[in-house]
Amino acid sequence: MVTTEALPALRLKKVVVLGANGAMGAGSAALFAAGGCQVTLVARETSKAEAALAQMQGITKSEVVTNGVECATYDDLPRLMDGVDLIFEALAEDMALKRDIFAKVDAVRPPDAFVATVSSGLSIVAMCEGRSDGFKQHFAGIHLYNPPHVMTGVEVIPHPDMPRDVVDQLSDILARRFGRQVVLCADMPAFAGNRIGFKVLNEVAKLAEVHGVQLMDTLVGPYTGRAMAPLATVDLVGWDVHKAIVDNVAANVQDECPGAFELPAYMQKLIEKGHLGDKTPATGGFYVRMTRDGKAFTEVLEPATLKYVPLGPALKIPFVEEIKYLNRAGRYREGMAKFMAAEGDHADIARKVILGYISYSLNRAGAGEVVETYADADRIMTSGFNWAPASGLADLIGVQKTIDALKRYDLAVPALLDAAARGDVPTPLFNLPFVTPRRYLAG
Amino acid sequence: MPEPVFVLGGYQTDFARNWSKENKHISAMFNEVVQGALESTGIPPQDVEVGHVGNFAAELYTMQGHLGAFLIETDPAFSGLPTGRHEAACASGSIALLAASAEIEAGRYDLAMVVGVEQMKTVDSARGGDFLGTAAWYEREAAGVSFPFPKLFGRLGDEYEKRYGLKDEHLARISAINYANAKLNPLAQTRGWYMTEEHANSTDRFNSVIGGRIKISDCSQVTDGAICVFLASKKYAEKYAKARNLDINKIPQILGWGHHTAPLGFDEKVAESRDNPFVLPHTRQAIVDAFNRAKVADVWGIDAIETHDCFTTSEYMAIDHFGLTAPGKSWQAIEEGVIDLDGKLPINPSGGLIGTGHPVGGTGVRQVLDAFRQVTNTAGGYQVEGAKKVATLNIGGSGTTSCVFVVGNE
Repeated sequence: MVTTEALPALRLKKVVVLGANGAMGAGSAALFAAGGCQVTLVARETSKAEAALAQMQGITKSEVVTNGVECATYDDLPRLMDGVDLIFEALAEDMALKRDIFAKVDAVRPPDAFVATVSSGLSIVAMCEGRSDGFKQHFAGIHLYNPPHVMTGVEVIPHPDMPRDVVDQLSDILARRFGRQVVLCADMPAFAGNRIGFKVLNEVAKLAEVHGVQLMDTLVGPYTGRAMAPLATVDLVGWDVHKAIVDNVAANVQDECPGAFELPAYMQKLIEKGHLGDKTPATGGFYVRMTRDGKAFTEVLEPATLKYVPLGPALKIPFVEEIKYLNRAGRYREGMAKFMAAEGDHADIARKVILGYISYSLNRAGAGEVVETYADADRIMTSGFNWAPASGLADLIGVQKTIDALKRYDLAVPALLDAAARGDVPTPLFNLPFVTPRRYLAG
Repeated sequence: MPEPVFVLGGYQTDFARNWSKENKHISAMFNEVVQGALESTGIPPQDVEVGHVGNFAAELYTMQGHLGAFLIETDPAFSGLPTGRHEAACASGSIALLAASAEIEAGRYDLAMVVGVEQMKTVDSARGGDFLGTAAWYEREAAGVSFPFPKLFGRLGDEYEKRYGLKDEHLARISAINYANAKLNPLAQTRGWYMTEEHANSTDRFNSVIGGRIKISDCSQVTDGAICVFLASKKYAEKYAKARNLDINKIPQILGWGHHTAPLGFDEKVAESRDNPFVLPHTRQAIVDAFNRAKVADVWGIDAIETHDCFTTSEYMAIDHFGLTAPGKSWQAIEEGVIDLDGKLPINPSGGLIGTGHPVGGTGVRQVLDAFRQVTNTAGGYQVEGAKKVATLNIGGSGTTSCVFVVGNE
């Protein structure tokens, strides 16, 4: 039994970042350095760690931010442990790799040093298998969103052995000193944000097989409450990352949406051929940017044939254009009313995805679920994904209208909405301070 | 005696937003800020009797004029509402507040809505810098000059250097304090940005000189922002207080105001003040007038200041013009920590124009909303403990139009 007395007050002065040369490593290191930490960058070779210095300067737009930052290799680990407060792991999303490095860290870490992983969804408990009791008591997932200087959301997934008051201190310090929107999550696959977000992205990817990429990105585009269209988002994060997340959830989670996380077969085929999205610019993903005779143009994937065809002009779908027109003038409630009332197959497809998002998001809160309250789901979808929060969308639609529509599409009605309809929960439901759902509804 | 003018609160948009990236028209800014203000105060829209808009250059940035009319779009109850728009460069918001408060003082209306708004991220920084040049005497001071305003406010620093001596390290400290305060303000544009005094003192590729002695860290921001506040007569404030079970004596008032305009050209300003201990005597006079009207003996009767730090040099000027130090000795207040958030007289607890952002025609309204937050103890992380009276200074052009308000309780 660990008591509070056994653990010192949490401090984050000296931070060692493992895997500092990756995007998340350098981004996290920049966040820690900007927050006043003394940072050491660790990579396989010193030169790789040094490359992260330039990344940190670019992120913070400052050269002085890297003053005093040390670059080292894994061989230096024992020496770097002197006075370290946090060892922050940002290696590739590979359980074996992470376990291996944590075994090494466990052997040399000071008894009061915290260890964290930036993993976006692997099991925290599994990562700590075979580790010492002290290691487990000091271990948490700190899932920063990419890039951390733009996306302020962070999921904190404490190992079950970490005392609750230490978890609270950690959350507090991330909020106050590092300006994070903190969401405490259970150790469930993909945690909260990626579970909710990639359910929608995968659904759109599946629908693209039938309806095409451009149409789906138009129907579920920024006007429905996001900074970027869904399939363009998958290209940005990488098809390999998308696959890793949905495979992990599909294999380890059973919920009210069976099959939702099955990777579409066409994506699997293209991943095997090296189509990973923007990170493989030559082969692309849903989109591929090309240059011919000095002219730049974009081609778009036809999932049914696995061929790329020239991307035509933006699709003008009447109900979508009408809603964008309303959103552009800040008339969001009218825009949402139009969205709910629009007729035809296209409107049905778009509505089912958005209502599915509301349902799935609000159902992830509560006992046995990944977050404690629906506000946590709202917080991570706004600050981690730049998506309109589910509760804010339900407010705009109207609670009873949302319930009726969910039933019409055979989607699970979250208990929260039933409670709100009974008057047991105050409305508007969306209640995060200083955030407005309106900003996500693009014109 | 004129009618007292009460401040009932309002709403501010998140200054970190880029409304062009959201593909939003300036009308969306009006809609969100007015709806936000109605929701946060609980004021029924049909109670509003007049609307005033402060805006600098929507015609240039958004190709849209006649902004008063956009208030009508924000709620069905506003159909027929008398409205107008006011312009005095960066002081536009304060001019809108002055017009609204004059109407309340005259007993013409009981409840006025004031919106300050600027959408600036519609153009690149060079073109935006040229637009801002119209706040100076464009033909003489700005035409063909890249980023004229940093250069003009650099010259304000040069004038201090000539008359009294000036060290850039004091300007760097001003920048660092504003950025640090902004980190505590959840609506500040720079709340997630990196800034330290060491960085502000550096001159590298990330902190290059923009004009004269002004570096990037000395500048306020290009900001999309809208702010709405409600001003009310005693009659309406009493009704408002009664409905909310509030003590009317705790509802803040505009206790005093000052307003003066200096010659437009910077050379003419400097020539005029050659023998004056104050570099910008009309700005000083606006402050003195506001203090006199508010029956405040001197600056030590004020608990915090929201000032116009379009550049660090303008805050440096404000320190001695407000009377925190003798003329030319602003550095003393900086060195002694007087203007720090926990200092004897905090300046820009919100983060100011450098930290919070500077939606040009909106800033004056934002300052008064922040003064309201301070004196009602609702400023959250940047609350100045026990603030009872807060002064604002809003400046248009290179020290041309100066507007000052004192907000608080009698």
